Amino acid sequence: MKKVIISLFLVFTFGIYNTWAQCDESVRKAALQGMGDAQYIRDYSVNLTKSPTEVKTGQVKFNVMLNSRSQYRFNVVNGAANADNIVMQLYDQDRLLASNREGGRTFAAFDYIVRTSKVYQLVFSFPGGQEGCAEAVVSLVRQFSEGEMNF
Amino acid sequence: MIKNLFFVLLILAGFQLFSGCKGCSDADRRGSDELVLPDSLITDAPLKLSEEIMNEVIGNISSPVEMANLFKASGVEFTQRILNDPDNVSRYQTSFKRALNLGVFSADLGYINTFDKSNIVVSYLLAVNSLADGIRVGQFFDFNSLRRMASSSSNLDSLMEMSVSSFNRMDNYLREQNRSNVSTLIVTGAWIEGLWIASNVVRQSGDKDLKIRIAEQKNVINILEIILSNYTSEPNFADLAKDIARLKEAYVPIRITTELGEPQRIEQDGVLIFIQDEISTVHYTDEDLENIMTIIEEIRTKIIS
Repeated sequence: MKKVIISLFLVFTFGIYNTWAQCDESVRKAALQGMGDAQYIRDYSVNLTKSPTEVKTGQVKFNVMLNSRSQYRFNVVNGAANADNIVMQLYDQDRLLASNREGGRTFAAFDYIVRTSKVYQLVFSFPGGQEGCAEAVVSLVRQFSEGEMNF
Repeated sequence: MIKNLFFVLLILAGFQLFSGCKGCSDADRRGSDELVLPDSLITDAPLKLSEEIMNEVIGNISSPVEMANLFKASGVEFTQRILNDPDNVSRYQTSFKRALNLGVFSADLGYINTFDKSNIVVSYLLAVNSLADGIRVGQFFDFNSLRRMASSSSNLDSLMEMSVSSFNRMDNYLREQNRSNVSTLIVTGAWIEGLWIASNVVRQSGDKDLKIRIAEQKNVINILEIILSNYTSEPNFADLAKDIARLKEAYVPIRITTELGEPQRIEQDGVLIFIQDEISTVHYTDEDLENIMTIIEEIRTKIIS
């Protein structure tokens, strides 16, 4: 009987551990609200689970096609159980272009004005390889005409 | 005491097992397929698109939102006659045709929503609903909610968001079910229809931003061609791949050059804004573009026939 209780206790505690990496629908809704007046393009569910044997920081990557002369908004909402805020970064292959963590501050969103149409990579991670969940939304803030791009 | 504890733990464990499955179904399965950054990003090799990468990319190759905004900005009036006719749906009897035209109607829906044409939106939603059912993905479209939204022009932004979100969820599902071939067809149909509408707007208005958008699709057509080549053992796919290859040929004279400027970062109203330092310029002639638009028209006519 004791063994059964211990087993059930382990299942129970594992269950708690496991739910850390899940976001419910309210997080997605909050992310959709977070895009403000921008126009929805796509949303991403991020679930990172820390493996006991993992040495490297866990990361997840999504490829995203972005078009030139466009200002995109990348906003993210953390799951309530996250130990730390998620880091959201935009890469062009191995080149970091933008991050929501700047100068020790973490922002809920960043905008990126694209001047070259191509495939970019949106990368999510937790500091220290922690685990957790988040919902992110990519939206379109505005499109520029050719003459408006002289900045 | 032991018995009571046993029951409490049993209930808690059962609850945890149950709740552990909530909200994770789609995203968790997808998450396990995601690429890990260090292996794929840190490389000196030229950009090579693996199937995994292409599958991720393809989802937003042809965002109806982005194209539709450009149509509106061109100042050209809405023209229903350039769209596919919802009455054509009954003609599409194969999954191949249904998937391609589901993409076509999704692009049409984007165009209609942008111009707030609530009077015709329901017939296009019905077409989407019917085609989606025909390829067993109808569950992603809450047709009644979409129709309710369509009944009021003030809800058209929400309608656009909901329909795009439905397409995204359907796209994720198809890939999880190893039906990327279907997803590829939907995206190809939407991409061609977007370019077809853009061609019409360019012919009417000569809009330069749309001309550039059509010309810079040179990057996208390379990706599409590689993706379609995965399925060419099937005759319909082989035929479509041939058409896309012909279009790719028309894109050969288009040149895209890039130069490096200064990266800029500003903070405005609490929002971080980054401005890309890499600036691309698309070089094309009107003859190049006319040739491309003619082939787009031919492919589109074949798709909707």
